[in-house]
This record gives sequence, C-alpha cells and structure tokens, in this order.
Amino acid sequence: MLSYLIRRILLALFTCWAISVLAFVIIQLPPGDFVDAYISNLSASGSGISLDQAQQLRAEYALDEPIWVQYARWMRLILRGDLGMAMEWQRPVTEVIGDRLWLTMVVSIAAVVLTWLVALPIGIYSAVRPYSPLDYLFTLLGFLGLAVPSFLLGLLVLYFGFVYFNANIGGLFSPQYADAPWTGAKLLDLLRHLPVPAVILGIASMAQAIRIMRANLLDELRKPYVVTARAKGLSEWRAIWKYPVRVALNPFASTIGYTLPYVVSGSIIVSLVLGLPTVGPLLLRSLIAQDMFLAGAIVLLLGIMTVIGTLLSDLLLMWIDPRIRVDD
Amino acid sequence: MTRPETRQEVRLMRNAAARRVSRRGLMKGAAAVGLTLPAADVSFLGAGTVGAAQDAPLGSALIGELEGPIVLVDAPRPATLRQAPMLDALVADGALPPVEERVPLEPLVVQPLEGIGAYGGTLRRAFTGPGDDENGNRWVSGDKLVFWDYTGTEFRPALAKSWEFSDEDRVFTIHLREGHKWSDGAPFTADDFVFWYEDIYTNPDLVPTPQSSFAINGKQGRIEKVDETTVRFVFEDPYPLFLTILGGTTFMGSGHMTNRGFHGGAYAPAHYLKQFHPKYTAQADVDTLATEANVEDWIALFRLKNQWSLNPDLPILGPWRSVEPVNTPNWVLERNPFYYEVDPEGNQLPYIDRIQMGLAENLEVLNLRAIAGEYDLQERHTDIAKLPVFLENQEQGDYSVRLDPGAYGSDATLQVNHSYDADPEVAKWLQNADFRRALSMGIDRDQLNETFWLGVGSPGSVAPDPSVPQSPGEEWRTKWSTLDVEQANRLLDEIGLTEKDDEGYRQRGDGGGRLRLEIFAISGAFVPFPRIAQSIAQQWQEIGIQLDVAELERNLGMTRMRNNEHQLFMWANDGSELIYAFPRHALPVDPAEAMMGPLIARWYVTGGEEGAAPKEEAMLEAMDLYTSAGNQNAEESNTTAQEIWKIIVDNVFSIGTVGVSPAVMGIRIVKNTMGNIPARQVNMQHARTPQSSHPATFFFRTGG
Repeated sequence: MLSYLIRRILLALFTCWAISVLAFVIIQLPPGDFVDAYISNLSASGSGISLDQAQQLRAEYALDEPIWVQYARWMRLILRGDLGMAMEWQRPVTEVIGDRLWLTMVVSIAAVVLTWLVALPIGIYSAVRPYSPLDYLFTLLGFLGLAVPSFLLGLLVLYFGFVYFNANIGGLFSPQYADAPWTGAKLLDLLRHLPVPAVILGIASMAQAIRIMRANLLDELRKPYVVTARAKGLSEWRAIWKYPVRVALNPFASTIGYTLPYVVSGSIIVSLVLGLPTVGPLLLRSLIAQDMFLAGAIVLLLGIMTVIGTLLSDLLLMWIDPRIRVDD
Repeated sequence: MTRPETRQEVRLMRNAAARRVSRRGLMKGAAAVGLTLPAADVSFLGAGTVGAAQDAPLGSALIGELEGPIVLVDAPRPATLRQAPMLDALVADGALPPVEERVPLEPLVVQPLEGIGAYGGTLRRAFTGPGDDENGNRWVSGDKLVFWDYTGTEFRPALAKSWEFSDEDRVFTIHLREGHKWSDGAPFTADDFVFWYEDIYTNPDLVPTPQSSFAINGKQGRIEKVDETTVRFVFEDPYPLFLTILGGTTFMGSGHMTNRGFHGGAYAPAHYLKQFHPKYTAQADVDTLATEANVEDWIALFRLKNQWSLNPDLPILGPWRSVEPVNTPNWVLERNPFYYEVDPEGNQLPYIDRIQMGLAENLEVLNLRAIAGEYDLQERHTDIAKLPVFLENQEQGDYSVRLDPGAYGSDATLQVNHSYDADPEVAKWLQNADFRRALSMGIDRDQLNETFWLGVGSPGSVAPDPSVPQSPGEEWRTKWSTLDVEQANRLLDEIGLTEKDDEGYRQRGDGGGRLRLEIFAISGAFVPFPRIAQSIAQQWQEIGIQLDVAELERNLGMTRMRNNEHQLFMWANDGSELIYAFPRHALPVDPAEAMMGPLIARWYVTGGEEGAAPKEEAMLEAMDLYTSAGNQNAEESNTTAQEIWKIIVDNVFSIGTVGVSPAVMGIRIVKNTMGNIPARQVNMQHARTPQSSHPATFFFRTGG
C-alpha cells in the first residue's frame, strides 16, 4: 500500500513536470509574443508604440531570449514558489489569480453541490421506479439538459432576466457592491447572484449524473444479493441504501479527478457569457495576450489539480468499494 | 414637438426596426417603436436636421450639433473660489490647504456648456482590462501642455498658459501657471521639466532611443529652465511644427499621465520620482524597493511608479487620480484636489467626485449593460451594430444615444502594401495607380454604408472630413471613390488586363491563370472587417477581379503584416486627420505599423540604408512633402498636408470605403441625469475625446 502511494506520487511529480513543458511550448506556439499582442491591442484602440519602445518592453520581459532560457527562468521562479509577474496585469500572478480563485471556487462548488443534491435523489428514484411517468419526465428533462449548450442557456437567462425582471446583467455583484468592502449586505448580494450561474453550470452535469446514477443503480438492483436481502425481509429502504446505492456511487468518486480542476477554473465559456469574474475568462484572456506567466501558471495549476484529483479519486474508490484492491 | 421631428423619428425608428430589430422580435418595447420620442432626445436631433430631406440617411437625424465648453483664455482668477463638499472636512482637519492655496493664481477658466454644475457623484463606466488604459487616459488628458478647443482645430492653453516661438522658430518657450501644484500639493515648476530632460529622457536606461517627435532634421532638441514658471525647448534647426506635435498624442505632447510607462510627456514629478532614481537615491536602496515591488530592477520599478493607472501614489496634474489601479476589477478615480481648472464662478473643477470603471469580461455583456442603463457615460466599446437596440431602450434605460462621427476618412480602409514582393505579378499591379483606381471605383460604398454602418457613415476616399484644416476639400472625398463599374472595367482593359476566364475573371499577365488578390481582414474589431471584405469581393466580380478574404486573428494578422506578407490589409485610417501626429495610416513612414509598406517605412526611417524605396514617383513626392513639413508652422503645414492628401487620393495609395462615422468610440450612451454633455463632440485622437469636452465640467443634475 505504502509503496503504491510512493510510486503514484513520484509518477504525479513527473506528470506535473511534463505538463509544465507542454504548457510552455503550446503557449509559445502561436506567432509573436506578448509584446506583439500588446501592440496589436493598442492599434485596435487607436494608439500605438514605436518599435524602439516595443524592443524596450521585450528586453524587460526577457522575450528576446531563446525559448529554453525563458523556460529555465520560469522553472527557477516556480521552484522558488514564485509564479512571476502577469505581464498584462503588472501584478504578481498569485495576486491576479488569487483575486478570482475563491469566487471561482464558490461558484463551482455551488454548481457541483447543486448537481449532486438534485441528480442523486432523482437518479435513485428513476432507478427504483423505472419506466414510471415521473421517470419518463426526468429522462426527457435530462436529455434536454444534456442537449442544450450551457452558453446558450446563459445568454437566454441573461436576456429574459433583463427584459422581464430588470435583473443585473451578468457578474456576481450589483454595481454598487462590486467595489464595496465585504459586508453582510455584499454577501447577501453575492448569494442573490449565485443561483443563476450555479444552475446554468449545473444543468448539463446534472443530466449526466442522473443518467449515470439511474443506469448503475438499475444494474445493482437486479443482482442476486438485493433479491436475497429483500427475501430475508429487509425493508425496501435499507435494501436499496445499504449496498446498491453505495456501489452505484463508484463512478462519481472517479469523477473527482476532473471535478477538482473544474472547481478552480470554472467553465470558461459560461463564465465569459455571464461575465463572471472567475479564473476561466482570465485563462482565455492571458492566452490571447500571450501572457506566458499567467497562462502558464493557470494551465500548470489545472494540470496539478487533475493529477491530485486522480490520485484522490483512486484512494477514495478503494475506501468506498473494499472490493477494489491494489495488485502488488 | 413639431411634426417634422415626429415624422423623422417615425421613419428613423421604422428604418432601424426593419434593419435589425425585426430579427430580434422578442425585444421588449418593440411594439412601441415609432410612436413617441422622449422629450430628452429632442435636443440631440439638432435644429439643423429638422427640415432635412425625408430620405436622408439614419445618421443625419441622429447626429447633433457640434458643441462644447469654452476655454476663457486670459480670464482672471474669480474673486471667490469654492470647492467640492467632499473636501470640506479635509480642509477643516488641516489635511488639505484651503482652496485659495490649491488653485493656481492663474487657473484655466472654463465656461461649461450649459452652465454651472453641481458637485458630487460617482460616474459609472466600463473598461476591458489593463490594456484599456486609454479609457482613463483620455479622461485625464487635462495634463497636456497645450490642447485644443472643442472643435479640435484651434490651439488652447492647458498646463502652459501661453507660449511663443523665437530665434527663427528654433526656441519654443512655454509659460506655466504661478502657484500650480501637483496632486500631492508640491509645486509644479520648471524643475519638473529639467528633471524629466536630464534624468529621464537622456537616461538611456529609461529612454533607450531618442524620440523623433523631439527632433528636427534628425537633431535632438533640449530643455532649459529660464525661471520657475518659464521653460524653453531649444532646437538646432527651426521646428515650427513642434506646436502641432505637442498638440498631438505624441511622445512629447501626450502629457504625463498618458506616458504608459515609456516616460513621455516632457515633465515628471521630480520630488516624488527621485526616490526611485539611482542618481538621487543609493542604488542599494532603489534595488531594495524594486525587490519589494516584485520587479526585476530599478528600470522596471521606475516604469511601474511613473504610471498613474498602476500607481495611485504618483502625483499627477489631471482632474482625477487613480485610487484603485487599472489592474484590478474596478479601476476607480477620485478628484485631484489641486486641479487647475475652475468655472467662471470660481468653482474648482471637476464637479464629479469619482469615476468607477468596472471590468467587463466580454463586450457583449458590456453592451447589454449599457442598454440596461447601468453606465452613466460610455462611448468606448459600444457597438454600432447595436445602434437600433440602443435607440429602442433609451426610455427604459433612462439614457440617450449621441453619435460622434470621427474625422478620418475610412473606418475600413483597404491598405495597399506598396512593398509587397512575394508575387511579382501581383506586386506589379498593386503598384499601378490605374489598377488601384479601378479597384476603388468597383466598390459600392453606399451599399456598405447601409449594411454595416446603418447609413450613419460617409462613403468616400481616405481623405479626412472637410471640416478638418488638413482636408484637401469636399471633392477629394469622392475622387476615384464612387461606384463606376464601366470606367473601372475600361481602366483595367487599358492597362492590359484584358484576358478573362469563362467565369469572367481577369487573368494574370504572366500566364499564371486567374489574377487573385488577397486581403487580410481581422475579426473582432470595431467594425466587422471580414464581412465587409466579403461584400467587396462580391462587388469586384463586376470588374472581373477575384478577391480572397483571409480572416485572421488579430495578433496573427498583425504579425504577418509586419513581415510584409500581405497584399491588402483592412484597417481604419484613424488618427490621419492630424497627419503629422499620427502618420502611420496615411503614409508608410512608421515601421511600428506600416500596412502601406513595411519595407518602405524601414527605408524611410533608416535614411535609405535598409528596407526598400517606394517604386512610384508620387509616393516619394508625398513622403518628401511630409518630411518638409517639420520646418513649417501650423498653418503652412496644414497646406502641405492638403497637398499630401491630394497625392494620396489621386493615386489611390489606399482605398477608402466608409468613414467619418461614429463606429469607433462614437456611439455615446449618456444617462439622462448628466449635465453639460455636448449633443455632439469631435471624435479625434489628438483631441483626446472626450477631453475636448472637458469631462471636468460634466456633472449629475441630481447630485449623483
């Protein structure tokens, strides 16, 4: 068991290193660099800088050095626990991400919790009463939820919210609270804005979770041990909850591998459409701006989260389902 | 409300509805379209348009009369001065000196547009991130040395209360205002210019290369202090154009707050910046500060500290200063208690306490928020394609829409690469004036205007609006720039492009099949370049020219353009209305962005050592005229500019389509609570719009 853990952790470290190289190379692939992107941005807004000024900037950001030297600089910083300065924001990467990280986590966790709170009971109900009218209804809704792209749903909700409810457009705060220090009123304001993104983000995965739960539980319920339990007079409630549900939960434990990176990045497209101040839009923006340090840090963070998440879900699976054992 | 106005409004709204809104039939209020006009909107229809022809385009009904505040030159300081209530407590506490000591002895007196305003309030706007610092820069450009009147055509005093040339235009002297103070209360004097010149501009670590805007005939100027309030700019050769250069958005002239970390502006707060400069502070101490600020070295530290948008501690001279920096989700500005402008009754400006700019994650959300009335004043990033929706929701959102047409000729210019060399056959034709004239006459600009500008633009060449002093005149807007398929075909036949294939497209002269041109069109700009280019490609079928549209991501397109890979490049020719301050979109003279020929621009700045000389005599002539203007005063140089424009237009160096429109930063959403807002303002880079309307005089009628 211990040697398995050590092996997994070593492998995880190697994977993280590989991710860092890949991230760096991919971000550098498009033509031009941060300064080119900066100049293009200025041109688009009707101003510009001279070539000399561009060269000055390039030297300051060390963009005029070969790519492996740049990578080495970046790695040296990271090993010191410093993610560098976000070029576009002129602030340390940790601060830029930190601003948004916890809001992202609030939104994502709300979405995940909502998904599970709604999907699990419905999935269980659908499995226990298959082909009942309610099961059909949930199935229909579930497929709708799967089929409708969440960004479209976001746009519709924004539009109708504005036209019929005069709601604020997007974001997580009303304008008067956006800049205010944290107070109870601001917290309430956040809670008022939270349901819309949480529901939109949750709906697609909700539908998926219902389907998975229903299918797995159906399989379990047909197994002889359930029949035996019922035959021995175990109450229906206990006969379902004691083992079948627990076994049917396995796939959810294994999704933690990608739930964890999702919690820190949020959905990029939906966040963009809804104007949420989360990490997702920041990643897109940094990629467009070719802001190496910021984009690299976020991609690396997501990679590490995936690696940790996978490790955790493997361990969790072993704990939930004692039948899974490591072959030494 | 008189009948014509009502009729006009009915037609206008019907047009708008037919164009766009019907597709969005869900829009609330669509039923009300065309019924009534909110009283507040009457003002901007403008008296001049009431009797306008019934079939005038949408734009003529929406574009109001140009108006703005008046700078009362040489007006004395009003006898009593007043200040914003938010400062009363600070003065009472002794944290601030009284207003009499904060305002210079000779302030800039401005007559607001409508009248004296009320103090207070927070103005809400949107910005799109740190790269959008111009969003704030333009609002605080009251710190330029010389500025313009509200028409953007005549000089007006700003920081410099007066100026004169002497020694045959070799010496330019400016006079500062006595008692003028930085936003922290320290005196603003000639020493701030000397510090800038000796310790910033001539320090190669901070400014690695001398700037062309501070040089005539390649010889650098210098700055001398005469006394506390008198500064001289001294040049080796006569440089009368220097006044125009200071008026433009140039390295020397943009002011201190618009320096963007490149240290332009001709002055800097010496008393504050010395602590970050190794000449005045021990290198070890500066290095420590750099480490604390998490930057590489003192140069990066100095760049960080000398940017008002990033460093709230930086003393400034504009009407507002940053309290929350631009690299946060909310860029917040607060009044500068030492600002040097007052109204005629002695109220120190600005009226508005704070400006709060919220970060918009994407432009759709920004536009939707503007429609919902969540911004008090927004003219940046508002989309012309949404104009009908903006108009429709005016009442519900409690705002009005005002259009500010730009002064430059073309929002979607087909910039011709005169140094293209990858395909000699295509290059040969691109360098043929008759070929370009034919291309230009093959474009149906009215159709483009209706489709993409909703009829509010002006079809024409690349020449600027006739109202601009450098304009060669109305007739040059249309020269070679009206649809004439017959003449275009004749010209193409005459230059030898007679062979056509069975689809009617003209063949290359070298037997290489069909003559195909390619245009780079970047997506995501203020106007939809790729779709406009597609329309032109369709129109050119009539003249037998095949145009391929390459839709490119902005950075990719720009990089390939700088590598001389493009044949045609679609871009606005913004800034060209003041050609000497921002020539890059009119002539290939600036290698930083030379869509008209990257190699020619290289050739021009290196004095012929690198790059490639222009092939056409006329191009050389235009570039010579441009160079010669440095030795001319503002008036003479304007005449020269007209000559340059005549050459550009006559030879169709680039092909204009539709311009003089509000498409770029000219769709202004104004909350009805705001006062002293012009019905129409100029929309020009050098006039730093909206600074030409003196935002310091804007106010909230309700007190915010």
